[in-house]
Amino acid sequence: MNIQYKKGVLELCVLALLKKHDYYGYELSEYLSKHIDIADGTVYPILRKLKNEGLLTTYVQEDSGGPPRKYYSLTSLGREVYEKERAEYLDFAKKIEILLEDDNDEKE
Amino acid sequence: MKKNEFLAKLKDELKKNNVADIDEIISEYEQHFAFKMADGYSEEEIAARLGDPLQLASQFESNIEYKTSGGKKIAAAIGLVFTDIFTGAFFILLVVWEIIMAAFAVSNLVIAACLFGRVNFITKFTPMPYLSAVVIGISAAALAVLSVVGCIYFALFIRQLMRAYGRFHRNTMAIASGGAVLPPLAIYPRLPAKVNRRLRSVALFAMVVFTTSFVLGMIISMLLSGSIEFWHTWGWFGYNAVN
Repeated sequence: MNIQYKKGVLELCVLALLKKHDYYGYELSEYLSKHIDIADGTVYPILRKLKNEGLLTTYVQEDSGGPPRKYYSLTSLGREVYEKERAEYLDFAKKIEILLEDDNDEKE
Repeated sequence: MKKNEFLAKLKDELKKNNVADIDEIISEYEQHFAFKMADGYSEEEIAARLGDPLQLASQFESNIEYKTSGGKKIAAAIGLVFTDIFTGAFFILLVVWEIIMAAFAVSNLVIAACLFGRVNFITKFTPMPYLSAVVIGISAAALAVLSVVGCIYFALFIRQLMRAYGRFHRNTMAIASGGAVLPPLAIYPRLPAKVNRRLRSVALFAMVVFTTSFVLGMIISMLLSGSIEFWHTWGWFGYNAVN
């Protein structure tokens, strides 16, 4: 699948994961590279961008027996943006689906 | 590619692209290496899966975009001052209207209380029969409830409008100075469905009570005074009472 296309929805995926609970960067990278098939390093620029836009905050937590982890957490603004973009994406995806399935019918 | 080589390449490229807080970014990738190595991957493997450092570096936003000319910023600030004055006056108007509506609600409540309690401090009105007073009192109370609901809606509306304008103000400055733009806010309040339903049914109930009791009050007054223009009979508004 087109790389640019995947990157577009990656931000939304990050927000969706963080809505459930806080993650540290590595966890997000692992999860997304496993499920969406992107290079492991791609998620860090996205996290940085979202943080610069005020959608995420970070805090460092030292867990037992490991290096200190930098956790990412959704801000209330991030939550607001996520809800808006989620609705927009779902609406968009639905329309595209209708369009693509329509195309299939005509060929048959 | 080894870990150190990867990080050095990434760092060089980030510097070239004038990205802010490079050390923070590098430490994030260092952590990635640490976690992966703990899982038993080799440095080469981890670096390969992270992607090309040159490409990764290009995905970080450059700091250069944020340095826009001061002139643009000043122009936006001056424009905003004028917009603020205009909008501020508009908001004062809206708040004044809210106060008027609140005063209307309170005065209706006072009228209802006076009618129920047979209090008559306005000498222009001679007392009417208590039955008329009670029925008209109910209509005044219902009108008070209706205007309170109106006040609540209007207050929420003004609040949301101010917040939306605040967001617009902030975004305009952000665009001029190259900062992050936040999504605009809706200009109408979005209440929880439950609150919305409750307010609506209270308003509807108050409206029905007001209309029926007002019409009923008029009819009762006409019957009791024996005249359609009962206010003449009772000598209101400076007319001589016909007794």
